[in-house]
Amino acid sequence: MPSRPAAAQEAGLWRRLQTASEERLHVRMESLIVLILLGVIMTVLSPYFLSVNNFLNILLATSTIGVLAIAATFVIGSGGLDLSLGSVMGLSGVVGAYVAVNMGLASVFGVLACIGAGAIAGFINGQLVTRAFVPAFIVTLGMLGLARGLALVISDGRVIYGLPDGLLYLGQGRPFGIPMPVIIFLTVALITHYILAFTRFGRYTLAIGDNENAARTAGIHVERHRLVLYTLSGALAGLAGMLFMARINSGDPTAGISYELTAITAAIIGGTNLFGGRGSILGSVIGALIMGVLQNGLNLLAVQSYYQQMAIGAVLIFAVFIDQYQIRKANKV
Amino acid sequence: MFYNKMNRFIRPLAVLAMLVGGSGAHAEGGEYGVLMKTLSNPFWGAMGMGVEEGAKAAGVPYFIQAVESDQAAESQLNVCNTMLERKPVAMITAAINSTNLLPCLKAAQDAGIKVVDLDGNLDPAILDKEGIHITFRIGSDNVAAGAQGAEFMVSQLGADAKGPVLVIEGLSGNVTGQKRAAGFAEKLAELAPGLEIVASLPGDWDRGKAASITNDILIRNPDLVGIFAANDGMALGAVESVYAAGKGGKIVIIGVDGNSDAVKSIKAGRLTASVAQLPYLVGKQAVENVKLALEGKEVPSDITVPTLVLTKEVMEAGTEPMLEFVK
Repeated sequence: MPSRPAAAQEAGLWRRLQTASEERLHVRMESLIVLILLGVIMTVLSPYFLSVNNFLNILLATSTIGVLAIAATFVIGSGGLDLSLGSVMGLSGVVGAYVAVNMGLASVFGVLACIGAGAIAGFINGQLVTRAFVPAFIVTLGMLGLARGLALVISDGRVIYGLPDGLLYLGQGRPFGIPMPVIIFLTVALITHYILAFTRFGRYTLAIGDNENAARTAGIHVERHRLVLYTLSGALAGLAGMLFMARINSGDPTAGISYELTAITAAIIGGTNLFGGRGSILGSVIGALIMGVLQNGLNLLAVQSYYQQMAIGAVLIFAVFIDQYQIRKANKV
Repeated sequence: MFYNKMNRFIRPLAVLAMLVGGSGAHAEGGEYGVLMKTLSNPFWGAMGMGVEEGAKAAGVPYFIQAVESDQAAESQLNVCNTMLERKPVAMITAAINSTNLLPCLKAAQDAGIKVVDLDGNLDPAILDKEGIHITFRIGSDNVAAGAQGAEFMVSQLGADAKGPVLVIEGLSGNVTGQKRAAGFAEKLAELAPGLEIVASLPGDWDRGKAASITNDILIRNPDLVGIFAANDGMALGAVESVYAAGKGGKIVIIGVDGNSDAVKSIKAGRLTASVAQLPYLVGKQAVENVKLALEGKEVPSDITVPTLVLTKEVMEAGTEPMLEFVK
């Protein structure tokens, strides 16, 4: 920075806002600004954008990816990686639908089956990573294939249609006009944000991601913590699977293909460090919303999906660029 | 300084959005929303073209949207929901599977929007249960298309021919692929019982996967006489494997769709035939019929667009009137 007084003052205010945002909310202010700017731009460009209904639409469209992004934030924040998120989501939806439709059990068992199936897949990932010492990339890549294949086997490759009313309500109900998936997504986001930002569990998670050996020396039981994180990641993927299943009234074995990458993208746009040590749930939620707003706006403008993919790719690189720029600037000072 | 950076990035994006979005952004109402799978598949591309030209000819405003792949079920649902915000008068939808668009279609129906099932991807039984009444469905009869494939194969090999036949199905569980494969198998058993289907495997609509399936089966059954693939992409994959194995021209290979790649291959004498679906015509007639329905006229609830067996002879003769619609 040149040392002009005006610039210094501007930087001072900027810095203060940044610090406030990061310390109080654990959110990078830049992501928030990008989200708001995108909103303003879309409002100017499309007469359909600015409405309560459309905002609920965006949140609804973001709910699945948002929950997966939360899972990704925990694992990536701890220096791990979970590539099986999308497949586990598909598997969970199928297992839940199988339990509720083919076995005819009550809705609550359908919910438990979804989350349970996800948690089991995550637990297996965690065991293999921490006990068998297979790299997380390989384990979860393997699980990506295993879970997807199992989903196709269980469902015989077909969608399992016709959920009971209780499950349907979780996907299609609208208490106070707000879609249930949005309520579930935001509730989970707030709880997990609190956990990652303000509890010992969260601090340990990021400490392991920052420096595994130091964390171990400090007395953190790294393996056990990792196992919990992978299980949590799987359970959240199961929740995402349940949300999507309930939305479309069926378990779809092809649900969530390549969602792991979208979820990781959301987390990184939101400021999670790909190599661990830094991450925030609200940040990732904002990252997911940035993609959601971008997609929604471009859809309203009837822009082809090809351009949407380009736009999201560009936003990802841009977000990390800003990040690196800030870090380098901070190091220079 | 941060804002400058933002502007530098956002401005071109906004301009891009306006440029691309400009064409379909008539807000006067009366728009037709068209929701496709992906336009990168020539089949859907041709259908999109038919919709566009049909809409232009009928003078109705329309906007077409598609998703990134023909497996992006949730993303299609999200696009569908967004489409509702533009309040179109009709939505012509090619759903990725029989359930992914249900909540959106229900909302469309509640909003008084006419819903059309493009290419018969929705399941009538499920629609009944959900209480969704579509205006009409339009598409080819996939069972009949498979049967036409079998008829053509028998016409090439003879009714008393004997030998193994390979069937390459679509994506596991996809209704369209199942209907085509079933139609083929049934007709083949009826016309030429000597032709035995030795394997019927899902090629997942994937050219590469179909090629490896063909490779594997050729090792087991080197005397293969015919291959039926549930779409052209997979048939072309099979063609590559057959030629690589040095059996080019000795095996009757039939695809379904009649897409441009297949047409080229048939003209070059590699692919034997394709049961052409005339997607262009499907798209065009869909728009024309929606217009009729919106004008309050009677429209049949199930519109079947015929299929046509494309061979080198048919194309070289050029007398078939439906050839005009093969794109």
